[in-house]
Amino acid sequence: MMTHDYALQVDNLAVEFDTYGGVVQAVRDVSFKLRKGKTLAIVGESGCGKSVTVQSLMGLIPMPPGRITRGSARLGNDELIGIAPAALNAIRGKRIGMIFQDPMSALNPTMTIGRQIAETLVVHRGLSASAARAEVIELLRLTQISQPEKRLDQYPFEFSGGMLQRAMIALSIACKPEVLIADEPTTALDVTIQAQILLLLQELQSSHGLSIILITHDLGVVARMAHDVAVMYAGQVVESGLVDDIFYRSAHPYTLGLRAAMPSNDPRKRQLQIIPGSPPDLFAPPPGCGFADRCAQAMRVCRDTPPPAYGHTHQARCWLQDPLAPASPVTSLMVNNKAD
Amino acid sequence: MSKQSFQLSAADFAPAPPATHAERIVRPSLSYWQDAWLRLKKNRRALSSLYLVIALLLFTLLGPWFWTQDYTLQDLDMISQGPSWGSAALVVEDPGAWEGVRGDALPLPQGQELGATTQLTVEGAATTQYVRLYWNAVPGAQHYLIYRNDHAPDSGQDLGLPLGETLRPEELSFADRLQLRPQTYWYTVIASDGLTEAASGTTLAVTTERAITTTQARERGLEATVGASVQLPAHPFGTDYLGRDVLARIMEGARVSLFIGIVAPLLFIAIGIVYGGICGYFGGTLDIVLMRIADFVIALPFLLFMILFRIGFGIGPGESGIFPMLLALVLLSWPSSARLVRGQILQIRGEAYVQAARMLGARSLYLIFRHLVPNVMGPILVTLTFAIPMAIFTEAFLSFIGMGVSPPTPSWGAMSNEGIRTMLSSPHELLFPAFFISLTVLAFNLLGDGLRDALDSRLRSRE
Amino acid sequence: MLLYILKRLGIGIFTIWFIATATFTVMHLVPGDPLANDKAVNPTIRANLERQYGLDRPVFEQYVLYMGNMLKGDFGISFTEENRAVNDIIREHFPVSASLGVLSLFFATIGGVLWGALAALYRNRWPDAAIMLVVILGISVPSFVFAAFSQLGILTLNQWTGRSILPVAGWDSFSSALVPALVLGMSTMAYMTRLMRSSMLEVANTDYIRTARAKGLSALRIFFRHQLRNAILPVITVLGPAIAIITTGGFVVESVFAIPGLGRYFVQAVAQLDYTVIMGTTVFFGAFLVLMVIAVDILYGFIDPRIRLGAL
Repeated sequence: MMTHDYALQVDNLAVEFDTYGGVVQAVRDVSFKLRKGKTLAIVGESGCGKSVTVQSLMGLIPMPPGRITRGSARLGNDELIGIAPAALNAIRGKRIGMIFQDPMSALNPTMTIGRQIAETLVVHRGLSASAARAEVIELLRLTQISQPEKRLDQYPFEFSGGMLQRAMIALSIACKPEVLIADEPTTALDVTIQAQILLLLQELQSSHGLSIILITHDLGVVARMAHDVAVMYAGQVVESGLVDDIFYRSAHPYTLGLRAAMPSNDPRKRQLQIIPGSPPDLFAPPPGCGFADRCAQAMRVCRDTPPPAYGHTHQARCWLQDPLAPASPVTSLMVNNKAD
Repeated sequence: MSKQSFQLSAADFAPAPPATHAERIVRPSLSYWQDAWLRLKKNRRALSSLYLVIALLLFTLLGPWFWTQDYTLQDLDMISQGPSWGSAALVVEDPGAWEGVRGDALPLPQGQELGATTQLTVEGAATTQYVRLYWNAVPGAQHYLIYRNDHAPDSGQDLGLPLGETLRPEELSFADRLQLRPQTYWYTVIASDGLTEAASGTTLAVTTERAITTTQARERGLEATVGASVQLPAHPFGTDYLGRDVLARIMEGARVSLFIGIVAPLLFIAIGIVYGGICGYFGGTLDIVLMRIADFVIALPFLLFMILFRIGFGIGPGESGIFPMLLALVLLSWPSSARLVRGQILQIRGEAYVQAARMLGARSLYLIFRHLVPNVMGPILVTLTFAIPMAIFTEAFLSFIGMGVSPPTPSWGAMSNEGIRTMLSSPHELLFPAFFISLTVLAFNLLGDGLRDALDSRLRSRE
Repeated sequence: MLLYILKRLGIGIFTIWFIATATFTVMHLVPGDPLANDKAVNPTIRANLERQYGLDRPVFEQYVLYMGNMLKGDFGISFTEENRAVNDIIREHFPVSASLGVLSLFFATIGGVLWGALAALYRNRWPDAAIMLVVILGISVPSFVFAAFSQLGILTLNQWTGRSILPVAGWDSFSSALVPALVLGMSTMAYMTRLMRSSMLEVANTDYIRTARAKGLSALRIFFRHQLRNAILPVITVLGPAIAIITTGGFVVESVFAIPGLGRYFVQAVAQLDYTVIMGTTVFFGAFLVLMVIAVDILYGFIDPRIRLGAL
């Protein structure tokens, strides 16, 4: 595929944090591609580095103590990593919008919703206050907030959680960005509100041609929203591919474990499976595969050599994909087409 | 990456021995207090302030063992002396013994002006007790003016302090006893005919030696023979306006200041714990009424009421005023810690883990000691550390405006109050107590900061 | 909002009543006859006072009389100065204290917000370290020490330059208020700087600042439009206690700098055991502080929309 088919392409990103306990390697060599007009879901348990990955792209991790040690990210043809703050500000909010997990705290409590949304329009599109106000009303209407003329002048504490997340979405798409990053947008919301918000995102995607990165730990949300999926574990992408690849042809034991841990309607699957153990300490990541200690299929090689990425569009970082490996429950990829 | 895999052999793909440590917790588990102590140790500022606090306490408690000077002993001969490490002093005869030198008044020859004094001489040793000067008579002089300067006069105008004048023309001597210090003085004696002074005088440089009189030596139990050399007590921090040793007073004052500073917070926090505990535990109407009372007490203007209480208790002669101040501090300060304890208890009662423990059948006593006490102790400890400098400040403030401990009991605030009067001539009298107040308050404040950071579990989870 | 103000005022009036009662109670703890304690009470004043305060009557009647006079705004007549009403004393001396206090509160607030914001901006770099060092000094050094040494400093300055650049003491021109106001506001400024700094850092870590950055706003705009405004809120809440500290701190500063304010007068009255002046001034200061705290609460309410719109 050609580069311009991708809205966003991230290669070999690595992020570290200095903490009082030492250096945490939060993101270790992460690569993914976001297809235009599609949704890429980044899945993983908490602490696996999925939020850090996207926040570092946006320059939102605190630096110091954080720093990007390696990698590149291209929005269309423009590099995001290591550019000047002013250049980044011209991209943030305009070409990439972002929504966050907790809408209650993500908006300035002492500023009206209208002014917070209008601010982006004024800064990025140079609109006058009155023009911005008219536009904000449109945006609020678009995100299905009732009585936008009245809501505009209210403060965040006067909104419900779901309404706030709608306002957040209105804010993030105000400048018609190419990419929308949604960092666990529904985690803090009621289930019924979750469904509405996801529906809204889908509608906006089809009407605005948005490319969405959706960060979540909820495989239900992934199944519903995603076209592509990247599964992250211990700061790495362990498996990536089309949504069906991930769900029906899982090529990594961790993905298999996640699926087994997911509630299901299947009467034969009464008990939820858990993945034993806990993720490795990222102060000192293990030399081999990060999942080896928790993996039922672990081999000697897994313990001391990091696995390469096998596969092409459907990739997995797992030694089980090696031709030398014994048969295992994971779906075998076309080993001969090893990625390089 | 791909190259690497070609070097792997089939043996590498044999099943690995089952991981024994998958459930192992990588970092050791620390109790609340262990963790807090580790954090405090990491905080250099807090740790050094902890050492400082310990040093101050040792200074207060052990100091008087090593520094045995009596803090009440007045020495009017050593008033407002600067810091010194003791010194040898000559024992000299009592000043009254000298009769002076007399001569004949000489008539002024016709047409001549008054001349300069000649033969200006010091009789005996020049000491800090007295400098005895005599000179030859100047023809025509009715009396003589004596000046003293602390630097060599550079002109006829720059003669320094006018010490006095002789009364009769025969008097040809003068004894200077005015606040002499061991240093060099320039004495100038100028003749006068009663109307005009001579155009020039004679200046003599005199270096004085520290000395005490035989009477003083006897009073202090020192060898009282003239000409003997005795060792005077050291005053590392100087002496105050009554000649008392400032170091000894600082130590005694530390006892007063730190006693009030530590005992008052301990007492009012203890009251606060009980009061707040009752409010938090029983709740309901009792809680509302009790907390309303606490709110009222908080609303009283603190320092004004400290003063009112002090007047209200009234302290009689000979009383130090420590107890009324302690009582007033306790009476006015308990509500804030009561509020804190009550808030903590209410908050903890609502916590999910306490409810979970209760559902699991934990008894109240267990809940109190396992969950309540550890959670309340942290904030209490921090409050205590901040209450100490606050109390020390209050004591200093009140003593400074004369509403605290009453003289002669020394406290740092009272000493500052006395020191400020002589600030211009001998700043050390203000400097030392002020320095100790500041140092103590600083140490406790920094320690409090460190403790708060170390005990703040919110911070703990964030890192 | 109106309800909020009314509620605050109601509690305030109750509090003032409590302060007046507490003052009365404490002053009646004084052993013996308050008039007998005094050395030079003129017989006519004494007769007047006894009649006015009903000192021969039971305590409860005295209390009723006292509260009645308070309600009328009458604090009585000085015990030591003939025919001088406490009201006149307050009227004469309080404006001096008030202008000194306002000036020093101005210094403290502006300075605190400015230094605190600056320290947060340069967090863990040398400007932060320098500001925090001054803050620690401001918190640890008692105001009378600052007062004494600043006086010494002015004296030296005047001697060096050979001119009277700043007056050493007294109260005649604006320049004579400058240094006392700075000294008086020093500890408050230190506290506010500290509060502002930590508040700024806390706000900097909030999600909404992250949102503002994700919106692509410039650092300057985020600082002024989002961070500063939210960070100042907690600083406003301590204005009430700050006014109390500055008011009572005035006792010392007014005494050291020989400023004829109510604080200095109060200290003198205490030394002379002038009961009516002590009681009157205490109740007056107490009521003043209560009203100030309410004023600050209301001000805060207007600034924070959550309170203005009745959410909290």
